[in-house]
Amino acid sequence: MKNVLLLGASGLISPYIIPGLETDYNLKLADIKPHPDGIPVDMVDVRDYDQVLEAVQGMDAVMNFTVLRHDETLSFHVNTWGAYNVMKAVAATGIKKVIHSGPAQTLDWYKHDMEIPVDAPHAPTTDYYFITKHLSNEIVKSFARVHQIHTVCYLFQGLTHRPTERVTKQSVRDFLIIYDDLVHACKQGLELESVPDYYQEFNLHSHYGPKKYSLEKAERMLDYSPQENWWEYQSRTP
Amino acid sequence: MKILITGAASTLAKEIITALGAGHQLRLMDEVAVEPQENVEAFQGSLLNQDDVWTAVRGMDAILHTGEPPPNLSEEEQARDQQLLDLATRGTHQLFKAGVEAGIKKFVYGGTLDIFRSYSDEVYISELWKPLPDPDMPEMSRYLGEHTAREFARDFLVTVTGLRLGKLVYEEEVAGQTPDLLWLDYRDAAQAFSQTLTRDASDQAWWTARWAMYHLCADIPNPKYLINQARGMGYQPTHNFEANWSQDGGLT
Repeated sequence: MKNVLLLGASGLISPYIIPGLETDYNLKLADIKPHPDGIPVDMVDVRDYDQVLEAVQGMDAVMNFTVLRHDETLSFHVNTWGAYNVMKAVAATGIKKVIHSGPAQTLDWYKHDMEIPVDAPHAPTTDYYFITKHLSNEIVKSFARVHQIHTVCYLFQGLTHRPTERVTKQSVRDFLIIYDDLVHACKQGLELESVPDYYQEFNLHSHYGPKKYSLEKAERMLDYSPQENWWEYQSRTP
Repeated sequence: MKILITGAASTLAKEIITALGAGHQLRLMDEVAVEPQENVEAFQGSLLNQDDVWTAVRGMDAILHTGEPPPNLSEEEQARDQQLLDLATRGTHQLFKAGVEAGIKKFVYGGTLDIFRSYSDEVYISELWKPLPDPDMPEMSRYLGEHTAREFARDFLVTVTGLRLGKLVYEEEVAGQTPDLLWLDYRDAAQAFSQTLTRDASDQAWWTARWAMYHLCADIPNPKYLINQARGMGYQPTHNFEANWSQDGGLT
């Protein structure tokens, strides 16, 4: 099994995808805070290059799910400087696979458009979350190109559990991914042999219904698709 | 015009002060003490300190953010890289945000043409080409600072101008050396900073008009980096390294 470092293991996303990934990978969990369920986690601060360099030793791939959204200082330090440290450590140790993550950089600017492709030009605005993650994308892209690191960047905006019962009189959200689907996407990304130009971004969500954010690229290059027809849970007729 | 100049201890800033002449009120900001000059206000402070930034922008009409790092950077590589990145990204964001909130309408950012070095020297590079920055921090940080500056033109009714500078030298100091396609004399770069102050697109409804980018290099016989766009705003370099290029055959 591949050794995979998961940075941000105690955050808002990772605790829900770890169970689905640890069956197929030797996961090394890392964060600056304890896991909410008490699972052992290595204390690694992505702002500290030496800590990151130590954490990536012996890994085949790195998943960077760290994020700090709206703090005027920490957003730059975690999202931007953190991404730099991760990619620098990855390059220094010869690791050839990275999964990076962030929000879609098209949310506000293309708010009134439909069928928005993932490769629409970034429009991060000056919002701390979006600009710092956009800057991280530029850093990751540069390291990936120069050091030939096959890197995928997953963009999503909201995650949730699989539905268990019908919901009526509610539209699905346009950019929401169910954890089971994210697990599937991570596996696909980790197994992808090569990434064109060493860096590609992918919209990831779980619903074909609204047709606002295109999944075409993820389907074509990652063989990604929602694992169930979640739409049926919100069908008007049972 | 009341103009804040950052990176004021740098050689570039000194030449900008000279190029601007006596017709403006200047405030010079850097992390180290800047030598006081006649009719020029010096302010020692950091772009990473919010109080310093607020003090620096107050009462100004324009910001010339040279992008030049302070001379007191750490000698340790990792710490220095973090400083460079923090200054270019968070520092630029903090400076421009304070400027917008203080009512400033004109912002200029000094980036670098190094982000095109990956391209073959056989091509002509204009502002339409996609940058390919290397991760090396001096280059990467200037590139990310440019992105940070650009977003303020997207979000606010202000004029933001990006200047991508060639490799800054003094013509007389490189006499006899093999010429470099990236060379740009400090005095010509300073001239361009001064000229950007005439640009006023703050009332333009489209952000693409509020943001502009210019490439700055010497005017050499067969350039890799084209400066036609900058000529449009009046850029006329006067230090063009003729002696170096004629000695080299002029077509390297």
